[in-house]
Amino acid sequence: MIAVIIITSLCFVSVFISYVAFRKGFTKSADDYFVAGSSLGYFVLIFSLLASFLSAFSMFGMSSFGYRLGYGSLYVLTANLVPLGFLWYFMHKKTFLLGRARKWMTMGAPFGERYGTPMKIILVLVVLVASVPYVVAQIQGIGVMLEAMSDGIISFRLGLFFVPFFIAIYLMMGGMKGAAWVNAIQGVFFSVMVFVLFFFVMMKNGGFVPTMEMVMAKHPTLFQIGWAGGKVWSYPMIFGMASAMALGCVCFPQPYMHAYSSRSVRGLKAMFLSFGGICLFIITMPTLIGIAGNVIVPGLKGVEADKIYGLVAAATMPDWLAALAVAGGFTAAMSTVNGLVFGNAVNLSLDVVKTIRPQTQPGEYITLARIFVAIIMAVCVWIAWNPTTPVAELSVIAFGTVAVTFFALWGAYYWKKATAAGAISSTLAGVFMNVLFFVLGGKNMILFPQTFMFQLNGFLASFIVAGIVFFVVSWLTTPGKTEEKSLKLFFHPVMEKY
Amino acid sequence: MSAKANKRKNLGFLVVFVVLTVFCWCPVGYGRYGEVGLILGMPSWAFYLLVIGALLFVLQWIYLFQTDLALYDRDLENIVDTLRKTEMEDLRS
Repeated sequence: MIAVIIITSLCFVSVFISYVAFRKGFTKSADDYFVAGSSLGYFVLIFSLLASFLSAFSMFGMSSFGYRLGYGSLYVLTANLVPLGFLWYFMHKKTFLLGRARKWMTMGAPFGERYGTPMKIILVLVVLVASVPYVVAQIQGIGVMLEAMSDGIISFRLGLFFVPFFIAIYLMMGGMKGAAWVNAIQGVFFSVMVFVLFFFVMMKNGGFVPTMEMVMAKHPTLFQIGWAGGKVWSYPMIFGMASAMALGCVCFPQPYMHAYSSRSVRGLKAMFLSFGGICLFIITMPTLIGIAGNVIVPGLKGVEADKIYGLVAAATMPDWLAALAVAGGFTAAMSTVNGLVFGNAVNLSLDVVKTIRPQTQPGEYITLARIFVAIIMAVCVWIAWNPTTPVAELSVIAFGTVAVTFFALWGAYYWKKATAAGAISSTLAGVFMNVLFFVLGGKNMILFPQTFMFQLNGFLASFIVAGIVFFVVSWLTTPGKTEEKSLKLFFHPVMEKY
Repeated sequence: MSAKANKRKNLGFLVVFVVLTVFCWCPVGYGRYGEVGLILGMPSWAFYLLVIGALLFVLQWIYLFQTDLALYDRDLENIVDTLRKTEMEDLRS
């Protein structure tokens, strides 16, 4: 019951913060509502970006991964994300500069100006489709944990409505500024709580090293790569998952939205750099907590293992502190739902509706974005109704799908020969391959290396096909008027020095 | 500093970043299938992975904040103004 009270309180605090942003008038104009008037300082930016990516997956999913699959999980969401410091900087410095000059507010804007409207619309739809499994994973994680922590008082299905309802309210009210404030506070909260939980879990058995030695004595394979006859954590499997997560991060809406919202270059760089560093520290902890969970709560299988984060908290901490630790995981999930749903709602409102109905007034876009928030949330709750796939796997699939837009983004900023035909065909080919693999072989084909594809997993195969299609089609086609016209701005010498 | 020297430095950083990224994405060169020794309670390859991640973080910090290769706030106004002027010229023409 304590857990339910704490989580409900956190939901109300989030709504209140968003209400303050609303009352202070930070949602009056479209610029304010969608990109916080490009006014966010670097503390808010760092923790908002962090919180908008770190999620039920990073807390509950990674501890579940660690519990089931051991140390190889460190390649899924910790050190593999450190390269984002330079990847984001190289891929999004022009997003920031051109966005500031052109007053962009959506991730479709650079694609629309560089390749034309069809690519912009396709991108919005692809990102929406890829985001859904990730949002579903968060809502599913929230439902599972709420049921576990309330001892069944709040059932899984009731939990699916409980937190998303609050998220929809504060998102619709506070816009980007409200969302960023809530994200930042939630980011600090869950970072502190995961550290506290780590300390308690390890002290249960006399410290980190003794705990790990106990786990190793019972489950030596969790300390190995290439176990189960080379199937689990083989090099191709590690590379496939690590790269999918990092490349997917480059292509989701959050870095675009945060780049537009940044007040300064210093804030932008600090945000991009800090993300990987904080992940290296903060996400390693839930993974290790999950591994240690094998000697505290043994015997969980499949989706059940998603509860390990809450169960070890309950087994090692006083009730009120355990509730706070799990609430930390909740806030992580909330902030990710918040970031993704908001990004997609903005894309739909500004990129799709504005294209179809250009005479729409700025105030109407805000109303439409609010409606889209409610619709996306409702659809995700509906899909999460019958959970069949663990949170971690759902998230990797989402990151893999969105990563196929990487080449179109790179070409927009760094390759003059890139054409709209190349960008569109590469994105469609990549998504088609991902869907095909999923239909043919389910999540295993997307996530795990396949012998007939030279040990590539479905994600990497789709990514490579998208890249080949992009280069070949761009070489074979001639840039149209839109591409030619865009070169002057996208390749302006004033940006070339950096 | 000449543009050529900056280009060389940029390329140097990029090569180091790419190499360390490969290490962060795959235990090639420092991992081994099957049993391995522990360092501070972790398998040796996991320990090296965390060290490599930390090293890459520091190098990125140096690149972004301690060299003249990255973008800084002092350049921002000029760049944005120039881009806006180009856009206006485009509209006029």
